[in-house]
Amino acid sequence: MIQTAFLLAKKDLTIILSRSAGLCQALLLGLLLIFLFSLSLQTGEVLSPHSASTMFWLASIFCQVLIFQMLYAIEEQNGAKAGLQTLPCPLQTVWLGKFTAGIFLLFVSQLIFIPAVFVFLAQHLGTHYFYSLLGIFLTDVGICACGSLLGALCVGQSGKESLLSIILFPLLIPLLLSAISLSSVGLLDLQNSFVDITQIYQWLGIALAFDCIFSAVGLILFPYLYHGE
Amino acid sequence: MKKSVSLCLAAGIILSAVISQFLIYFYAPMEQTLGLAQKIFYYHLPVAWWAFVSFFFSALFAILYLVKKSQRFNILSHANAEVGFVLASLTLITGSLWGKHSWGVWWTWDPKLTTALILWFIFASYLIIRSMPMPKEQKNNICAVIAIIGFMDVPLVFFATRLWRSIHPAVFHSNGTGLEPEMVHTIIFCVLSFVFLWFWLVSYRKQQLTQELKLETIKTKLLYEEEQ
Repeated sequence: MIQTAFLLAKKDLTIILSRSAGLCQALLLGLLLIFLFSLSLQTGEVLSPHSASTMFWLASIFCQVLIFQMLYAIEEQNGAKAGLQTLPCPLQTVWLGKFTAGIFLLFVSQLIFIPAVFVFLAQHLGTHYFYSLLGIFLTDVGICACGSLLGALCVGQSGKESLLSIILFPLLIPLLLSAISLSSVGLLDLQNSFVDITQIYQWLGIALAFDCIFSAVGLILFPYLYHGE
Repeated sequence: MKKSVSLCLAAGIILSAVISQFLIYFYAPMEQTLGLAQKIFYYHLPVAWWAFVSFFFSALFAILYLVKKSQRFNILSHANAEVGFVLASLTLITGSLWGKHSWGVWWTWDPKLTTALILWFIFASYLIIRSMPMPKEQKNNICAVIAIIGFMDVPLVFFATRLWRSIHPAVFHSNGTGLEPEMVHTIIFCVLSFVFLWFWLVSYRKQQLTQELKLETIKTKLLYEEEQ
């Protein structure tokens, strides 16, 4: 099952990365969001780490919505969905394959968004950046587990962009709260340099709990969403 | 629903509503700081609790639908989601009115408020999907999945928002309620008496949805016969 999932992910990544407009569209949307928000700053004004990390995650989740739509649209456009449905392995393999491809593409996008946050929103690296990196990893796992499950939901629907967003965003609130808190501790706060380590662990716990719950739910419920009519 | 059951429920609703009003305005004492505005608490808490009960049943029947594939469970999950959505909307409205009076703001960041709002958003998207044109079985499966994951998200939302910050009062906690005994009796009666209205709403909506399904089946059958 895992080997087939990796093969599916490899196939999706090859198709998406070979298209000129594939990932670029999602990347540009995220970058534009960060840049447009930077316009609200006055010259010399410093944005708080919380606001900067909120912008980073806003860019990331919009990018993630586009990524999972792209991933599920591949089979839809080519009429190959039946091929995946009749794979000689559990349907969860498709969920795992899309999850793997999605998390890879999201990591790549964030490699662009992180420098953009430092450049456009005038942020500086703090001392607790390890927790931020761990937080980004855990959050990406959670949002991709959720995205991979719900991406299947919007396949073949009209207005799928807005449909996926309205279902996904409320569900991601606990994870985003934890992500914003964890990302902001990695940025230098000029107003308040105190960092509560106990609270960081609590946020990491919430992110981990979300990952476990939604990975389990994804594995159990995915076949109900993706099976044939 | 049988006519006799319906009549009993209607009588229960009217009687409990009358007794509730009496308890709220004549038995429970006036709160010294908030005054008359505190009375909204006796409406706010029952609708909030029964909204959560409805969402719980919606998720439970959704699980049963996915396992057993019975239309009965799908209809029950749908009816509970709709009733829960209406009650959650009332919770948010009454909570906002109360918040404006006691905190001076219509809305504030708080675990209970945020959890209710997130649930409202999730079930709003559930109802949007219910009204979308798509194959019936696919739609039922999607809605069942949303009802389940929506309800599973609740504890996480609550803990995350509590960690963020909170000013909402806890009505029942380990040191007692912090309320006068008359207030406690009134609120318990209001919460329990709401069961009549809640049950009637869910049963009525279930009946409507069952009729709708029957009509659709007849329509499909007639169309098939015409084609033959």
